[in-house]
Amino acid sequence: MSDSETSGTSKIITHVREADAPEPEVPFAEIEIVQSKEFIPVVKENLTGMIQRGMEAAVKPVFNWAGRNSLFPLHWGLACCAIEFAAGFGARWDGERFGVVPRSSPRQCDLLIVNGTVTWKLSHKLITLWEQMPEPKWAIAMGNCATGGGPFRTAYSVVPGVDKLVPIDVYIAGCPPRPEAMLDGILRLERLIRERRG
Amino acid sequence: MPEENPPLRPLIPGITAQFPQDVTVLPRRKDMLAVLKVTPARVAEVAKYLRDVGSFEHCALVSGVDWVDHLEVLYHLWSDSLKGYIELTVDLPSEDPHVPSVTEIWRGANWHERETWDMLGVRFDGHPDLRRVLMPEGYQFHPLRKSFELHEPEELEVKARHV
Ligand code: SF4
Repeated sequence: MSDSETSGTSKIITHVREADAPEPEVPFAEIEIVQSKEFIPVVKENLTGMIQRGMEAAVKPVFNWAGRNSLFPLHWGLACCAIEFAAGFGARWDGERFGVVPRSSPRQCDLLIVNGTVTWKLSHKLITLWEQMPEPKWAIAMGNCATGGGPFRTAYSVVPGVDKLVPIDVYIAGCPPRPEAMLDGILRLERLIRERRG
Repeated sequence: MPEENPPLRPLIPGITAQFPQDVTVLPRRKDMLAVLKVTPARVAEVAKYLRDVGSFEHCALVSGVDWVDHLEVLYHLWSDSLKGYIELTVDLPSEDPHVPSVTEIWRGANWHERETWDMLGVRFDGHPDLRRVLMPEGYQFHPLRKSFELHEPEELEVKARHV
């Protein structure tokens, strides 16, 4: 164990305590002193023990912190906005620095970014993918099409806003939104999750 | 009689002799070797004749037009040897339009006929798999009909609720 690793670990834990956990009696000190290579097993053991002792309220902020900093969006593209989505995870904007990693299976995802035009014909598939994602999960409507139908709002084949199909947490305006806007939407969602503390 | 394209000279009299009651030669349009109006019942036979005798081996397009008082189904057929298109048009009633399918003659007409059914509500009798293409199964409208009005999205949403 080196000094830098210890300080790095305690820094993260301190951050959690300040931001989320008002209860001072939470035994985070136990976690702080572990060696970093045993960090995950000990955390797991601690958290499991706390849940068994009926301290779920104290554990929740930890899950909240972990969840909101590792949002995994579903890797799918519907229309032109998907190009900006792809650019957002490329080298220039590098969405992965926020812990946001697109995954190819809805079973591994907790964030659905609807990035494009949804037609009525696609609506079944969208709902199926949403239902396949495990709880807790969130949804972002990216671009004007997903938000309200966009330029195709009055077309016979286009869903005028995906909030008719799945519950949306964050709407991102733009046709298309720039990758910065998409990342800003994800960060806003992180803030939203922190405020909910659930 | 409009001026005919020389390569078609033997074909057009042949087809009008074969189907005297059912084929009318219309004035030529731009980019078309000939335009023929066919009665709905004999479309498949005329199409087969054009493929086998007239060497129109490629069905480039099956589509439709809503002329409000009636519907029209169009076939654009391409011939590699004549290097040109011939157009067949079929007039149908707006109510419950039926026309024989040409999918058995040109396999490529399959999706074209499905799209025409989806958008205009023309039933192609004998089609192997006449399902909608662009709109979901269970959708009750044919949106390219002139009688389909472009509604406000909320109303459209109610229209499109199919689940
Ligand atoms: S909002 Fe604009 S850029 Fe995005 S999918 Fe719709 S039309 Fe394309």
